[in-house]
Amino acid sequence: MISGIEIFDIALLLVVLVITSWYVAEYIVRVFERRSSRLDKIFNPIENLIYKVSGVDTNHGMGWKEYAFAALLINIVQMALAAFIFMNQAILPLNPQHFSDLSWHLTFMQVISFATNTNLQHYAGEATLSYLSQMSAVQFLQFTSAGTGVCVAIAMVRGFKKGSKDLGNFYVDFVRSLTRVLIPLCFIAAVFMLAAGVPQTLSGYTTVTTVQGATQTVLAGPVASLVSIMQIGTNGGGYYGANSAYPLENPTALTDVAQIFLMLLLPTALCFVFGKMIGKEKESRPIFIGAYLLFAIDLAIAFIPNPINEGPGIETRFGGFMSTFWTVVTTAVTTGSVNSSLYGMHPFAIIAAFMGMFIQATPGGKGVGLMYMIMYVILTVFIVGLMSGRTPEYLGMKITGRDVKLVMVAFLVHPLIIIIPTLVAYASGAAAAIGVTGDANGFTQVLYEFTSAAANNGSDFLGTTANTPFWNVATGIVMFLGRYAPIIILLALAGAMIDRKRIEGTAAALKTESFTFSLVLVASIIVLVVLTFFPFLALGPILGFFQGHINFFGP
Amino acid sequence: MSDKKSWASHLRPLIVLGIISLLIGGLFFPFLITGVGQAFFPHQANGDLVQLNGRTVGSYYIDNGFTSPVFFHARNESTCGCSGVDPDITPQQAYSQIPGISSATGITNSTLTSIVNDNEEGTFWIFGSPYVNVLNLNLILIREYPSVYTNYTK
Amino acid sequence: MQSTIQNKEESMPGEKPVGLLRLLSSKVIADSIKRLSPVSLLSNPVMFIVEITFYIVAAEAIFPQAFGPLASSSQRVFYVEVAIILLLTVWFATLSDALAETQTRMTANSLRRIETDVPTRKIVTGETGERTVSTVKSSELRKGDVLSLQKNDLIPIDADVLEGIAMVDESLLTGESTPVRKAPGDQLIGGSKMISDTLVARVSVNPEETYISQMIKLVESAKRPKTPNEQAVTIVLIGLTAIFTIIIAGLVGLSVTLGLGGDLSVLIALYVCLLPTTIGALLPAIGLSGISRLYANKIIAKSGRAIETAGDTDTILLDKTGTITVGNRQAIEFIPFNGYSEKDVGEAAFLASWHDDTLEGRSVIRLSYERGFVPREINMLDLSQVYEFSATTRTSGVKLQSGTDFMLPKVSDSTSRGRVRFRRKFSDEPTAEENSIQEHMLIPHGVPSGEIEIIKGAPDSIRKIVTKVPDSFDKEIASIAQAGDTAIAIERNGDLLGVIRLKDILKPDIKQKIEDLKLMGIRPVMITGDHPLTAKSIANEVGIDEYVPQAKPEDKYGIVLREQGQSRIVAMIGDGTNDAPALAVADVGLAMNSGTQAAKEAANMVDMESNPAKVIDVVLLGKQLLMTRGAVTTFSIANDVAKYFAIVPVLFATALPVLVKLNILQLGLHSAVLSALIFNAIIIPFLIPLAMRGVSFKPSDTMTLFLRNTLIYGLGGVITPFVGIKLIDLLLSGVFHI
Repeated sequence: MISGIEIFDIALLLVVLVITSWYVAEYIVRVFERRSSRLDKIFNPIENLIYKVSGVDTNHGMGWKEYAFAALLINIVQMALAAFIFMNQAILPLNPQHFSDLSWHLTFMQVISFATNTNLQHYAGEATLSYLSQMSAVQFLQFTSAGTGVCVAIAMVRGFKKGSKDLGNFYVDFVRSLTRVLIPLCFIAAVFMLAAGVPQTLSGYTTVTTVQGATQTVLAGPVASLVSIMQIGTNGGGYYGANSAYPLENPTALTDVAQIFLMLLLPTALCFVFGKMIGKEKESRPIFIGAYLLFAIDLAIAFIPNPINEGPGIETRFGGFMSTFWTVVTTAVTTGSVNSSLYGMHPFAIIAAFMGMFIQATPGGKGVGLMYMIMYVILTVFIVGLMSGRTPEYLGMKITGRDVKLVMVAFLVHPLIIIIPTLVAYASGAAAAIGVTGDANGFTQVLYEFTSAAANNGSDFLGTTANTPFWNVATGIVMFLGRYAPIIILLALAGAMIDRKRIEGTAAALKTESFTFSLVLVASIIVLVVLTFFPFLALGPILGFFQGHINFFGP
Repeated sequence: MSDKKSWASHLRPLIVLGIISLLIGGLFFPFLITGVGQAFFPHQANGDLVQLNGRTVGSYYIDNGFTSPVFFHARNESTCGCSGVDPDITPQQAYSQIPGISSATGITNSTLTSIVNDNEEGTFWIFGSPYVNVLNLNLILIREYPSVYTNYTK
Repeated sequence: MQSTIQNKEESMPGEKPVGLLRLLSSKVIADSIKRLSPVSLLSNPVMFIVEITFYIVAAEAIFPQAFGPLASSSQRVFYVEVAIILLLTVWFATLSDALAETQTRMTANSLRRIETDVPTRKIVTGETGERTVSTVKSSELRKGDVLSLQKNDLIPIDADVLEGIAMVDESLLTGESTPVRKAPGDQLIGGSKMISDTLVARVSVNPEETYISQMIKLVESAKRPKTPNEQAVTIVLIGLTAIFTIIIAGLVGLSVTLGLGGDLSVLIALYVCLLPTTIGALLPAIGLSGISRLYANKIIAKSGRAIETAGDTDTILLDKTGTITVGNRQAIEFIPFNGYSEKDVGEAAFLASWHDDTLEGRSVIRLSYERGFVPREINMLDLSQVYEFSATTRTSGVKLQSGTDFMLPKVSDSTSRGRVRFRRKFSDEPTAEENSIQEHMLIPHGVPSGEIEIIKGAPDSIRKIVTKVPDSFDKEIASIAQAGDTAIAIERNGDLLGVIRLKDILKPDIKQKIEDLKLMGIRPVMITGDHPLTAKSIANEVGIDEYVPQAKPEDKYGIVLREQGQSRIVAMIGDGTNDAPALAVADVGLAMNSGTQAAKEAANMVDMESNPAKVIDVVLLGKQLLMTRGAVTTFSIANDVAKYFAIVPVLFATALPVLVKLNILQLGLHSAVLSALIFNAIIIPFLIPLAMRGVSFKPSDTMTLFLRNTLIYGLGGVITPFVGIKLIDLLLSGVFHI
């Protein structure tokens, strides 16, 4: 169980987070509305040069199709660039450790993994990737996937904004997301991490003789820059195989709290961006309150066990509380970084983690979390809102059959890409091939792998053991569909909102900004999203709990 | 996309911007941070390396692999299931090792206890729970009791 | 004064459709069984799938070996039980369809009866000109047929009067309780009733062609198009069905690959339980019943969509007269000017109002009489020259000879026009009042003094034709208007005599209705031809913030466009041809059946009772329909929570017995699945009354309604199955030892 002081810790962190997010949100809105700013002097020349070189017409507004496909295609270009580096790292510079090239299937899986903001890793970075790969493949894609996520969310919000004529220009949004949002934020975060003890070097690993005379290699590299974007961008792909459990990636309680804060920052800010951008700040309420009520439910479930996650899998410097809290946060914002081994988690903590990944909006990955929450709001307005005695409307816009169709299709993607591959993994013998069983623990691991891939989360049990053609290709496909199918569908939904007739200022409308609505939203999400997967949880962590497991070590 | 424009004009931003984003996120930024790190935080940037008698013996944050009974030990790696290099133990774990160290070195229990207590770390204000860094404790012991430890360090 | 809405037990307007029990007939049951054919279920995807699962389980019951070895003979019994419950589930759905359709048809027919099902005397004129009368069914009448109508006859169809003068009660259609005089050239409305004398009239429309018949046909036909909202709900149901299909297919697959030994029929039971069968079964009935309730309130809608739009109304345009006030004003005071007495004004008003057949005119006569201001010229009235009301001059009047006694009317002749007028002005039977006035008429009055011309009308019109207007006149007029009353000025031979003060009488329940509208967030806008001050006073009295004074019917069009321009959904009423353009553009246009054909065609609803206040009821009915659909959908989905906990624990009972710990309801291991499945089936007939009657609600603000319904149908939807499944389980295990 959780103690009073720990509840206070969380509350304090969230208060600071909400205040910071509010201002970050204000800044993000200014950036994407292209309002003039004192920073223009610095950024405008750089950006204008980029637009000129890349032939971008900054005044061209894009419809949903053009926006969605520009995002998808540039991501594919970026994947190709990263794939080139992964597959040729042996001959490329910055490879002091002389690591060899990655296999085609690991490359396929990893470029999709990083480009889709999933960061599922079927390798241990410190023993696999050259410095160049860590920087110019991993960090590069972490920046672009984070930028893409913010852009598509902003584009969706534009669809709901009154008076929008288009969804904006993807290229301009993308450039500004890098130059004005991610690079500056990551710079601050990276310098903080450096000061707090995280390394950043290109000089190769240091071999030392320990106090007792043994030989040891200190695996330092460009870690601080990676940690900053992996947390701010809710990417989650660590420098090391052990991710943020590895001391050099997350050395102290301070860096741990800071990383939790960083991964919550943009997803929370985007809740506020919604209201600020559409000019109705109150409309951020269901999105923010809904997300954080669900987050609180996640936490409550994770903290049921007493004592909370002790022993194996837990880093001493973090302890059970901080490790469990991290696990909930990392799945709530679909970051996927870990500061402990998932094997060390109690089944309840894993149930909470599943909830975060099923919902994807608690507050979810930056960008996509907001998109999902808007989708849930529309679905709730449609089903439950009918009971207010009006045909459903959101922000004064009537919800049409086509909107509902898009929402239901987006809704359908997730169970489809989790359940089918899980089944295939067992039926084809791929699970058995890597030693994963069908019992409570094994099933949890497989279900978690595909849920994490589908939700673009990236935390997983299997890790390097899943570095086989089947698992790499299967998770690669799941990650790709889990990312782009909902984005394209939800941008289509946003596109349909442009120019829609609005009935505004009528007292008869359902008040989505009310707390009542937020509560109903949360209940709807639990019934429609979480319970859908209940039979599967029953075969995994729930079964494990009833069988007396307190973690996932052992059979 | 409008049909009026040529394919090339559609492809150009995709490819050029794709490459520019690689330059910004994949090279410029990590190089920038490397520069800042090496210039302003060289100790941290290079892995928080720790010296003993002028010799680099490891990283402060990486378990140094103590095995001798005269030292504090980190957790046994084979069953830890954690990062495997966790350099820290809880004060309670440290206390439980004190009698053994005391009998091996002759340093009194109370001295060892106060060393453990004085070197608790891990809390950031009210966050986190206290722990002690095994390497840190052992280096203190080596410095404080050079005569005892001279045989045990290489 | 309590509103009628709250007087009703259901908190909802008007009449209820035909009761459920009266509907259950062998015919309905036969119909519901016929609908079990998979082809007719295709339009209902959820039920179609349930039927498929029935076939699968039935096959398992008949050929168990084809599905693997039987654990025991009791397992086969279980398959039979599951199959039966699945079939019942589908049947309950088709039964609700059949019931709702029958109800709608019956209610529609009872509406149509107002027009058609009346025995009628048809006059056939032979070649020699002799007339023969034959009795025919009104539905057999054709345009051009000539009818003989007698006292107490129901007028079967719209017709034009050819001969005779009679009093007709149109209250059923117009809400106006006072009989209306009909003379040659007047139109008779089908459904009204003769209350005196006889008429010969020519049928003006064919019964099959009547607008209303067409409208009824449109909405009752079996191929009623789904409304946009119904379509969208169907999409949600299809989406949920797809999701649960994936879930169950996944579980079936895992059961096989992981060797969990799940029973196919148990997995199917979970599948059907999770499917939104309740709303899937009741969705068509809910839509039809909404139309039924409208019919029961004597309102016909052109489409189901119009009803749903009514629920969305943001602004409602209310004609003051007939909606807010009873259709007439009443004279309450005579105010003299220029040194005349109250008596002078009252007597002149009596004479000027004698030929005014409106309720307003009659109230002037009544006031004069009550004050004892019956003029001696009364006996001259039948020979007077009448100036009918003119919209241009906004005056009416009378010109007669002063006090001559040789033109005494034959008052003993009860059929004389004078007598008829008295009847009309007071009551059917001669009353004391009437007799008293008759006495006056018998008294010969003094010496004639020439011609008298009396004109009454709008004050600003009268002031133009009188010689002297006192200073206090304008002030008095303004103060009358400020109080919400209307001033009618009256002059005699160019002398301003004074003013008749008319008071608007509010409809008894209108204040409550306006308050209800405002509570629900709907903005009432009052439209009136009145002076701005009068309009303001009345608007204030009933609590309306926005009003349009001095409006002509044509102005409604502009107001509708203005409101729509501000992105509001507008509801309005209309009856005249002038209203037609506005009715056509309004989102909800309710025409009065007494109105012109043009108005009825432009509107999307027609009120057979021609009661304009019913536009408010239409809004409530629209809301009720949407609420009911939302409530059953939410209830259906919320039910799933309990069903997971009932079935998942025993899903893999053989391989994973430890999951029984999830059995928080402590259901019997053998009865749990049947209990959940039975609950899933019988909740449908339990909710048929709700689906057909509609969710009851008190008008209140949107969020209150939302919260209340969410608690009842959302939270209730979570709790009810826990209780229901447990009770069924106790029954099964306790009584039937399953």
